[in-house]
Amino acid sequence: MRVLIVVPAYNEQEALGGLLAEIRALDIAQLETVVVDDGSSDRTADVARAGGARVLRLCGNLGIGGAVQSGLRLAEREGFDCAVQIDGDGQHPPAELHRLLEAMHADDPPDLVVGTRYRDKAGFRSTMMRRIGSWWLRVILRFIARVRVSDPTSGFRLYGTRALRLFSAVYPYDFPEPESLALARVAGLRTAEVAVTMRERQGGTSSIGGFSAMYYMLKVTIAVVLTYVRALGRKPGNPDGSNR
Amino acid sequence: MDQIGENYLVFAIACLVLALVMMRLLLRERITLQGSMSYLAFLAVIGLMAVFPKTTTMVANRLGFTLMSNFLFCTAIAALAILHLRALVTLSKVQLRTVVLTQELAMLQEKLDRVAADQTQRRSA
Repeated sequence: MRVLIVVPAYNEQEALGGLLAEIRALDIAQLETVVVDDGSSDRTADVARAGGARVLRLCGNLGIGGAVQSGLRLAEREGFDCAVQIDGDGQHPPAELHRLLEAMHADDPPDLVVGTRYRDKAGFRSTMMRRIGSWWLRVILRFIARVRVSDPTSGFRLYGTRALRLFSAVYPYDFPEPESLALARVAGLRTAEVAVTMRERQGGTSSIGGFSAMYYMLKVTIAVVLTYVRALGRKPGNPDGSNR
Repeated sequence: MDQIGENYLVFAIACLVLALVMMRLLLRERITLQGSMSYLAFLAVIGLMAVFPKTTTMVANRLGFTLMSNFLFCTAIAALAILHLRALVTLSKVQLRTVVLTQELAMLQEKLDRVAADQTQRRSA
C-alpha cells in the first residue's frame, strides 16, 4: 500500500526537523512524505528538504485547509492508496501511525480514519477550553450531521482513496476538521476512529486562541449546518459535493 | 424636463464626477468594464433622479415616501447593498480560484525541482 504522509506546516522550523526524523525511523514500505509549506516566513521549507521530504511550497498562506488539500490533491493525482495527515507542530507522534494503518487492513476498510486522543485518556489531551469546544462540536456533529466522533478537531487522520477523491475536489479552507467530517458523512463515506496518543506541540505557536477561538466555534457551527442543508438539496450522483 | 434646483444640481454633478473617475479607471484598465457596469448603472439612476426631481418626487410619493430624502437614502442603501453582495460573490470566486492556482503552482514547482534534480544527478553520474 502506497502511503503519502502530508505534513501541513506554517513557520514550523523548530518542530519539523524532529518530526521528519521520527517519520524516517518508521518501518513502513512505500512511504513518502510531503511537507506543505503554507507560505512560511522562516526556514520551514529548507528544514523539510534537509529532512528528506518532498516540499510543496505555497506562494501564499492558504490556511490549514488549503495546505492539507494541496497534499491530498498530490496523493490523489499520483495514485497513492491513502494519505495520512500529521501536523507539522509535532503534536501527532508518527509512531502512532500504525494504529491508523491497521484500521485500513480490516475486511471492510473505512474511507476516513480519525485518530482520537479522548479514548485512551493518555498523553496530551489539550486545554480545558479546547475540550469544552470539542464537546460542543461533538454535539453539533452528532445532532445535525449525524456523525459520531469523540475528537472532531483531531488533524491526525488517514484518508482512503474515496476520501482523497472527495477532498481533492472540495475541502473546507479554514478550521476544516469538523466540517470535513460532516462533508464526508454527506458524501456517504465511512468514518472510523482509532485511539492514539498525542503530545504537546514541539515548537512554534498555535494560530487558535483568544478571539479566534470564538470565531472558530461560530464558523464551524455555521459550516456544519450549511453542509447539512446543502446535502438536502444536492442532486444524487454528485457525491463529492462540488458544483461541477 | 423638470427644473433642476440648486441642491439637485450639486447631486447630479457629484454623480457625473464619480462616473468620470470610473471612466478614467476603466481607461487605465484598473477596473474591468464587466465589474463596473452595475456601478455605472447605479450612478446613472441617481444622476437621473437629480436631473428629474419632480418625476422622482412623484415616484417617491407613489411608493409611500412622504419625504424625498428618505426615498433617496433607501434607494442608495438598497443599491449599495446589492453592489456589495455582487462584489462579495466576485471576491469569493476569485479567492477560490486563487487557492486552486496556488496549489497547482506548488505542485508544478515541486515536479520541476525533481526533474531538475534528476537531470543534475544524471549529468554528474
